[in-house]
This record gives sequence, C-alpha cells and structure tokens, in this order.
Amino acid sequence: MNWADLNLMPALPEMFLLGALSVILILDLFISDAKRGITYALSLLTLLVCAVTQVSTFEPFATVTLSGMFVDDPLSDIVKVAMYGVTALVLVYTRQYVKDRGLFKGEYFTLTLFALLGMNLMVSASNFVSLYMGLELLSLSLYSLIALQRESGRAIEAAMKYFVLGALASGLLLYGVSMVYGATGSLELAKVAQAIASGSANQTLLVFGLVFIVAGLAFKLGAVPFHMWVPDVYQGSSTAMTLMIGAAPKLAAFVFVIRILVQGLGEMVADWQGMLVILAVLSMAIGNLTAIAQTNLKRMLAYSTISHMGFLLLGLIAGNAEGYSAALFYVIVYVLTSLAGFGILLGLSRAGFECETLDDLKGLNGRNSWYALLMLLALFSMAGIPPLAGFYAKFAVIQAIVNVNLLWLAIVAVLMSLIGAFYYLRAVKVMYFDDVQDHSPITMSGDMKLVLSLNAVALLVLGAMPERLIAMCVEAMKQSLVVL
Amino acid sequence: MLSLTHFLVLAGILFAISVLGIFLNRKNLIILLMAIELMLLAVNYNFIAFSHYLSDTAGQIFVFFILTVAAAESAIGLAILVVLFRKLDSINVEDLGSLKG
Amino acid sequence: MSFQAVVFYVLSLILIVAAFRVVTAKNPVHAALYLVLAFFTASGHWLLLQAEFLAIALVLVYVGAVMVLFLFVVMMLDINIEKLREGFWQNFPLAGTVALVMVAEMLLILSSPEANLAGFQAGPAVAADASNVRELGRQLYTVYLLPFEAAAVVLLVAMVAAIGITMRKRADSKYINPAEQVRVRRNDRVRVVQVQAVKPEVDTASDTNEQQA
Repeated sequence: MNWADLNLMPALPEMFLLGALSVILILDLFISDAKRGITYALSLLTLLVCAVTQVSTFEPFATVTLSGMFVDDPLSDIVKVAMYGVTALVLVYTRQYVKDRGLFKGEYFTLTLFALLGMNLMVSASNFVSLYMGLELLSLSLYSLIALQRESGRAIEAAMKYFVLGALASGLLLYGVSMVYGATGSLELAKVAQAIASGSANQTLLVFGLVFIVAGLAFKLGAVPFHMWVPDVYQGSSTAMTLMIGAAPKLAAFVFVIRILVQGLGEMVADWQGMLVILAVLSMAIGNLTAIAQTNLKRMLAYSTISHMGFLLLGLIAGNAEGYSAALFYVIVYVLTSLAGFGILLGLSRAGFECETLDDLKGLNGRNSWYALLMLLALFSMAGIPPLAGFYAKFAVIQAIVNVNLLWLAIVAVLMSLIGAFYYLRAVKVMYFDDVQDHSPITMSGDMKLVLSLNAVALLVLGAMPERLIAMCVEAMKQSLVVL
Repeated sequence: MLSLTHFLVLAGILFAISVLGIFLNRKNLIILLMAIELMLLAVNYNFIAFSHYLSDTAGQIFVFFILTVAAAESAIGLAILVVLFRKLDSINVEDLGSLKG
Repeated sequence: MSFQAVVFYVLSLILIVAAFRVVTAKNPVHAALYLVLAFFTASGHWLLLQAEFLAIALVLVYVGAVMVLFLFVVMMLDINIEKLREGFWQNFPLAGTVALVMVAEMLLILSSPEANLAGFQAGPAVAADASNVRELGRQLYTVYLLPFEAAAVVLLVAMVAAIGITMRKRADSKYINPAEQVRVRRNDRVRVVQVQAVKPEVDTASDTNEQQA
C-alpha cells in the first residue's frame, strides 16, 4: 500500500464518530449522575455532525479506499444518514424511559455509538474481513446494551439467548465465507464476483458455502426458520433496547445482505433465489399467523418484524435493481414505522410500569386522543393500509416480484398481509372501542412529543408523496451496483 | 501425502461435533459457549488450510481477526453469564423460562 | 506414509477425542481442560500448514487468556452439575445421528470428484528464513488497516461492556469508609429542635361523651 494514495475522505464520518466516541467515553467518567444530560447532548451533537459530514462529502459515485476494505457509495450514504437520524430518534425516545430505570449511564450512550460505528462499517465494507468486523462490533454492543439492565432477570435472559444464537449465526456465516474464500481465492467482494463471473471458481465449494452464508444471514435478519430468538429478545429486553435492536440494525443488516449476496455472490442469483423464496414464504406465514395469538404487544411486534423481514426478502428475490431499490425503500419505511410504534409504547411506560400488553392500550383514545392517533398511523402503516407509507413499501416489493413473473409469490404476499392486517386492527379496536382501565395521566416530555408527532406524520407524508424517496433509492442502487 | 481434503474433512468433523455439543448441552450455558469456540476453531481450520493451499495470506489474516473477536466475545459472554448466575443462581437454560409464547 | 502424515493423523485423533469430550464431559472444568487440549493440538496442525504466527497466537491468546477466563468463571460459579445433566444421554442418539449425517454429507461433498479439491496444490516451499510473522505484520498494518482498527474498537467494547455489565455496588455490603466517618460533623448527626413547653389540654369533650354513655 502506498501511503500517499491513502484516501481517508470517504471514511471521514466514521473517523469523526470514533474520535467523538472516545472523547465522550473519557469525559463521561468526570460527569456526575445528575449532569448525565451532558453526555446525552454530546451524543446527539456527534450524530448531527456525522450526518452533516456525510451529506457534505456526498458524491454520486462509488469510491473504494483503504486497500479495498471500505467503499463509499450512494447506497451507503443514504443508509448511513438514515441510521444517524434513527439513532438520534432512539436516544430522544428512550431518554425518560432509561432515566426511570436507572440506565441513564455513560455506557448506554457509548455502547449505542459503538453499535452505530459497527453498523457504519457493515454498510461500507467491501471485503469479508471488514464486513465481519462491523457485524461483530454491532452484535457485541447490542448484547451488552441489553445486559446493562442487570436487575431484570428477563433482560439478562434475553441477552444470553441473543448472544448464544448470534454467535452461532456468526459461526455459520464464517463457515460459509471460508468456503467462498477457498473457491474464489479472495476475500474482496469485487474479486469474488470477478472469479465467479470468469468461471474460475470452484462451483461445488461455492454452493456449499452459500448454504451456510444464507443460513447465517437468515439468523441475523430473523427470518423463519432461524427466527426463534426474535420474540424472546424483543419481549425480554427493556423496551428501549427493543427499539434499538428493531431500528437501525435492520437497515445495516439489509445493506450487509446486499453486499454479500448481490455484490459478492450476484452471479449465483439462481442458487440463492430459491433459498430466499422458502425463507420469505415461511417468514410471512409464520410471522403473521403467530402474531395473531400474542397478547404481549412487544412479542406481537416481534412476530410482525419477522413477517416484515419476509417482505424485505421479496425485493431481493426479484434479483434486479428494481427489486433491490424497492427493498431499500421498504426497510427505511419499516424502520420509521417501528420507531413510531415503539416510541408510543415508551411514552406510555413510566417509572415502575411497562406498557407492553394489549390491555395496556385499552381506551387509549379516551386517555389521550392524539397519542391514539399517532399509534393508529403506525399500526396502519405496518399493516400496509393506504395512504400510509407502509402501503407503498409493500406495493413496491410486490410489483418487483410480479415483474419477474413470480405471480404466485405475489399472491401469497398479498394474502399474508391481509392476515397480518387482522392483528393490527385488533390493536386499533382495543385503543378506540374498549373502556379505559388505566386512568393514570400520560406524561411525555415536550421534545419527545414533538419528535414522535413528526415521526408519525412523516409516515403520512411519505405515503402521500413517496416518489422522492423512491427515486432516491432507485438512483442510489443504480449508482452503487454498477461499479462492482 | 497430505492434501486439502484431509484438513477440510477434519474441520467438518469438528464443526459437526460442535453442533452436536450445541444440541446436547442446550441446558448448560457454559458448555454451549465452549461448543461455539469449537465451531470457530473449525472455521479457522478451513481458512488456514485454504490459505496454505492457495498460497495466499488473506485467510490467515482473517483467522487473526476471528481470534480477536472470539476473545472479546467470550469476555462479554462470560460477563453476561456471571450476572445471569447472580440473578438466577443457575446456568440452566431451562430456568430461563420466563420468555415463552 | 510421510512424517507429516503420521503427525497429522496422531494429532487429528487427539483433537477429535478432545473435542468430543468437551461436549460430553460431566464436569465443566474437565470440559474446559479438554478444550485447552483441543486448542493445543490445533496449533500443532497449524504449524503443519506453515501458519506459525497463528499457531503461537492460538496458544498464547486462547489457552493463555480465554481458557483461563473460562476456568475462572466455571470455578467461581457454584454449578449444580447433576441437574444440568438430566436427560443428557436421552438426547444423545438423535443428536449423534444428526452429527454423523452431517459429517457424512460433508465428506461426500468434499471428497466428490466435482469438488476437485485435488486441484488445490500447496504452493512452492517457502524459504527457510522466510518469516510468516513479518509477512502477516506487513499486511496487517497496511492492507488490513481498517479491520485492524476495528479490532481495536471491538476489544474496547468488550472492556467497556464487561465492566459495565458486571461492576456493581453490593447492596448487602457492610463496608464503611473510615474517611467519611472521621469527617462527620455534629450537625450531620444531631438535630436540635426547639420545643415549646406546653401544658396538655384536658380533653373535656370526650369526658362528657363517656358520662352520657
């Protein structure tokens, strides 16, 4: 490597993030518990600066740097900006909640930022080594974030389950990667793709490795039949951590899958398509059907996540730029929606009380009609009811599937989303038509109220005018996939 | 004469033993962690064998990173195990019954 | 059979037995010790594959640090082994069959002619003074700069997390800080309250009630 050629500009936001993170880590040691707000403010400021840097260094083409370890393309830019925003929202939503539970500590913020750094690395990696390091940085931070609530037996249990299954998934993924390495002789995604395209790769080893890779990815995404951990982890973790796991990591995981399956193993689309079809159909079916039987909201939303991952896979199954950009749009909308949904649950919880069963929503409309309306928007968007953003997201992936003549799969998807609508509507019914059981007042800080309202209204706005974001997704995918 | 197949099959056997361990010790968390270490060892075998037979150092470097991450991972895993034990006085997976449905 | 082949088979036998004992050992301490044996043997294999640096790192990092950590934790926790072993051998036939089938499948795939693993030939022998450590070091600090930094961050996360998760102030601790005791002023402990001396009022109302009853 020639040091003069070292171009660090594309990695500027990550470098800033790491620097700021280290400063916060040390500074926090000297801050008393009463002034922990400073750490909070600094973390938000860091996210803001990262986002500004990311936007101002935007270039509409892909730059590979750091000896082919790091790629800065429009796809990574758009996802990273979304992740900064999502992480900031998570911090705002969870502030009161974690304060009430004694988790408002320095580690909470530093581990969150560490997780973000890991996600950035996953999104921008162009080599299996950096992909793996990013993934582990994210996973390790998430396990520890859940376990930070050590007074809660349930949270530790969730952390342990997440840890064991996450490590198992990494093992499977690595076994597959080792086979791909043997078959192609390289760990660099571009070279792997080249070797496969030129036919010099060992086909048997490749397919053998691919099976393990798909299984590992399915574990990480939480697709059926590798979904066992999702409900337990969602339910067991404190709602703040559930929000954390359910939001930005989904964006990162999506790009992670794109990098491996499309950019690295894109030539083998025929091989992985079949496996993804099985995963997608099972996820949509089991996710939606099991969600109906749930009375715990967090568990219900966990199964709903599984079904959403099934829909996300539909976009990948299409196997073309249209499908990938539809999936990108889907995942962004999904994350925004689940942020709004879990945000309300966080707002309704208070010290000593967790809002997490369906009964806790009873008569929400009578208690506060504005929050009920926001929750309604989130649930309708998840169910895919027009004119909310969730509808266009589902519409886009199903259209992509129909365009590649997989009509039966599209019909299954539509059927499953109809079944799914049932349990979302049940929650709406509980909010609007059941009698109030819990009369305690809902206290939400002003900033959270404002941001939450904007979040939910954004779903409506995106639903009314999805064209801009869709166009951005299409453009980003086109520019990012063309090079490698 | 030794060949790549020898090492890959050995790694395959190790991988299968670790899966067996995960099946058998679903109750015992600490052995579960050890089985995961075994699985990573199998993966490392693959990388090093390929690296040798491809005359390419990338595989060895990946192993270096896997070892680093595995060390960090076991530190965190054991930390979680310790708080779990403090809370439940057990590392029996069956005592982790509060999450079901 | 060449010398290398003999070493390979002997080590393989030890490795497989050790790995098997790790997952079936009764006592977690024994399991950890068998795992140490497995890592030691593996490092021997890696020497055969000319990965000297990793072979030594495996012994130093794994056996030296990680396994000692495991042993510490196993010995620190008072684990009821008997309860954990209930039904262990009932699951064994099924799990063993699954594992055997897996091995058989992998063997078939890896040794089938289509896999063409014979096509992989070891490269030319390296010079006697070639340094595996130098070569890896050169690449680590140049080509793999980004993952190397990331590895540093991962270790930092492990440190922050392990401390953050396990460090606590024990609620049942009787520890007293002598400095704080010495520093105590009278005002911290004694509160002087001015109380007006008053004559208690005689409750006439209740008296009359009682008389009426």
